[in-house]
Amino acid sequence: MRLDPKDLDLWIKGGHSFTAIDLRQKEQRDEMPIIGIDHIVADERNLPISDKDVVLICQYGLVTEGLIIEKGLSDAYSLSGGVESWNTFLLDKIDMSHWSRQIILEEIGVEGQRKLMNSRVGIVGMGGLGCPAAQALIGAGVMKLVIMDGDIVEQSNIHRQVLYGIDDIGSSKVDVAKQKLKKIYGAASIEIIDSYLEADNGASFFRNLDIVIDATDNNASRELIDHFSKEYNVPMIYGGLYRYEGQVSVLNVNGSCGYTDLFPDHGNSKNCSEAGVLGMLPGIIGNIQALEAVKIILGIRPNLIGKLMIYDGMNHKTETIEL
Amino acid sequence: MIKVKLKCFSQVKYALGTGEVILEIEIGATTAELEEMVRDRADGRLDGVGLSVAINQQYVKGDVVLHDGDEVVLIPPVQGG
Repeated sequence: MRLDPKDLDLWIKGGHSFTAIDLRQKEQRDEMPIIGIDHIVADERNLPISDKDVVLICQYGLVTEGLIIEKGLSDAYSLSGGVESWNTFLLDKIDMSHWSRQIILEEIGVEGQRKLMNSRVGIVGMGGLGCPAAQALIGAGVMKLVIMDGDIVEQSNIHRQVLYGIDDIGSSKVDVAKQKLKKIYGAASIEIIDSYLEADNGASFFRNLDIVIDATDNNASRELIDHFSKEYNVPMIYGGLYRYEGQVSVLNVNGSCGYTDLFPDHGNSKNCSEAGVLGMLPGIIGNIQALEAVKIILGIRPNLIGKLMIYDGMNHKTETIEL
Repeated sequence: MIKVKLKCFSQVKYALGTGEVILEIEIGATTAELEEMVRDRADGRLDGVGLSVAINQQYVKGDVVLHDGDEVVLIPPVQGG
């Protein structure tokens, strides 16, 4: 059976219980994430059993139609037109007045808003910087977010990592973050990777990203981000914190300065658990990182490409250095 | 002698106990010599901390001769996130 996007939309709005299964290969999933459908990923040779209605999803709806006929899956539905049709349908019917207050800005407009909605942003680290950056980006209408962190929520995180509460202690940060971000804008696609960035998982993370937010808390991870950012030509929005201060820079834009160019010798500087940080600072710096991400996606100038901004929260002074 | 203004951030600020200080240095002194002077003043509190350098809001690489009235920032990378 075929199911049109508008009928699936009615199912979702009516609270109809169903299991959506994305049968595409990882490359296609990365390139075009499904927006607005809670779904699982499976291989067509090993379909999960479900007591609910099953909606099979592929890129154009052809593979799933063929599979239903081939395997005699008479109770399953194929999403007509696949992800291509569904995402177009959803983006076309989205109420753009949701972002009316920023669409009226001449640098954004409807065209810029659509560009934001089609952009794919990665965040490495869902701690003090990652939480506010993700909140701000989802709020701004970025519909494809990939968040990576292998950590769990601890009590000492909560004063600054604004997506988490006491009830989340012990839970996976990316799981909780996804739930909270979905409450801000449910139709957004939030892909979670419950592990730390390593040399062997960086390629699959960076492929098809438009921007990466560096929200980590150590120099080794920043150097890895810098490496993959250069390799895949993905601009890196660097952010770092020290007590009442923060640093932000947009690195690796078409050969511009990178992290290891800026800090060839990072030495043994301290992270938040060693040096301390006031809870508001990550909120300020994480939001500036999100702001720069939006500016880079939309080509808005001036921005922090080729510049390092240092913010001092004690006296609210900034120092901007040309790189 | 010439005077340069050192603007201090993060570890440098806490190591020297000030956000800004005027330093007197020899004519022809370089950024490496200034950094050495600052590390001496920090009395071990900057040991192991890598520092990048900016003069008059411009990042510089290598050892650069300083001039009277220059504003210098020794930039430590900050790890927190």
